[in-house]
Amino acid sequence: MQRRFLICGIAILAAFSVGLIGFFAVSVGKPDGLESVLDGQGVKGSSPVWTAPLDYGSDFPSALCMGLIGFSLVLAITFGYLKVAAKRKHQGAK
Amino acid sequence: MHISDGLMAPLVWIAGMAIALAFVAFAFHKVGRRMEDRTVPYMAILAAGIFLAQMLNFPIIGGTTGHLVGAALAVVLLGPWGAIAVIFTILVIQSLVFGDGGITALGLNTLNMAIVGSLAAWGVMKLTPKRFKMPGIAVAAWASVFLGATACAIELAISHTIDPSYGIDGIIALPAMMGLHSVIGVGEAIITTGVIAFLIKVAPEAMSMGRESEPKGECDAA
Repeated sequence: MQRRFLICGIAILAAFSVGLIGFFAVSVGKPDGLESVLDGQGVKGSSPVWTAPLDYGSDFPSALCMGLIGFSLVLAITFGYLKVAAKRKHQGAK
Repeated sequence: MHISDGLMAPLVWIAGMAIALAFVAFAFHKVGRRMEDRTVPYMAILAAGIFLAQMLNFPIIGGTTGHLVGAALAVVLLGPWGAIAVIFTILVIQSLVFGDGGITALGLNTLNMAIVGSLAAWGVMKLTPKRFKMPGIAVAAWASVFLGATACAIELAISHTIDPSYGIDGIIALPAMMGLHSVIGVGEAIITTGVIAFLIKVAPEAMSMGRESEPKGECDAA
């Protein structure tokens, strides 16, 4: 089971690195749907209330690195929370 | 489709935050009550995969891009409450760690992408006959993006009505957002059905594993 999830994780990261090549080839720097509508109307938000410590990176190596950090963070936080939830459920059932 | 700080009137983002937190609290309660140990890594890896997919914008028309929201994909694999919990977790990390989406707009982003997106996808899947499973998933994915964007346009319009220094006039916001996202939704539908078709082929057990935590019949269309 654990090996299966490890393989799955590696496959997702491999697919991401391939997708990232396509992203930098055709989509980088272009606005998404909402940004495009806002740009068209000359609307800009205020400066952010919270300054995030990281961004998604501006080139392939940094974006790959940020993707890996984000992947690990989401994985760890979701896993941690759900493990605690599952443990509580089992304790409640006993 | 991530809203940044300062775009929406305070009344709108505060209301959005309150509604979103109520839904998210309920979603985590439902997920926590039914979580099985063996489905934990599955949900976690799906959440992390959706995070990565959201980083990869794809081109649509006129120099505009779109990205996967992943709500329909998560609904198919985890059910509606699991999907809301997972997308919310992703949005929090995107906002706090990567500055993608404002902190004040976290409630509205959750409302549009996690809640409206997931419930729209779930609703479409519930209404789709089982023999049309894959077309149903495609329509559900499209609807999740389209209705999420429509919700965002409504929020922009309400903000502008409350205070013209915020948002965009509804006459402009609604057709622009709905038009662009009707195309982005096609990309979402293609990616979602592609991933589901791939999973059915290589790991069919994945189609039910994450939804073991859902009661029978809650999301039986997928």
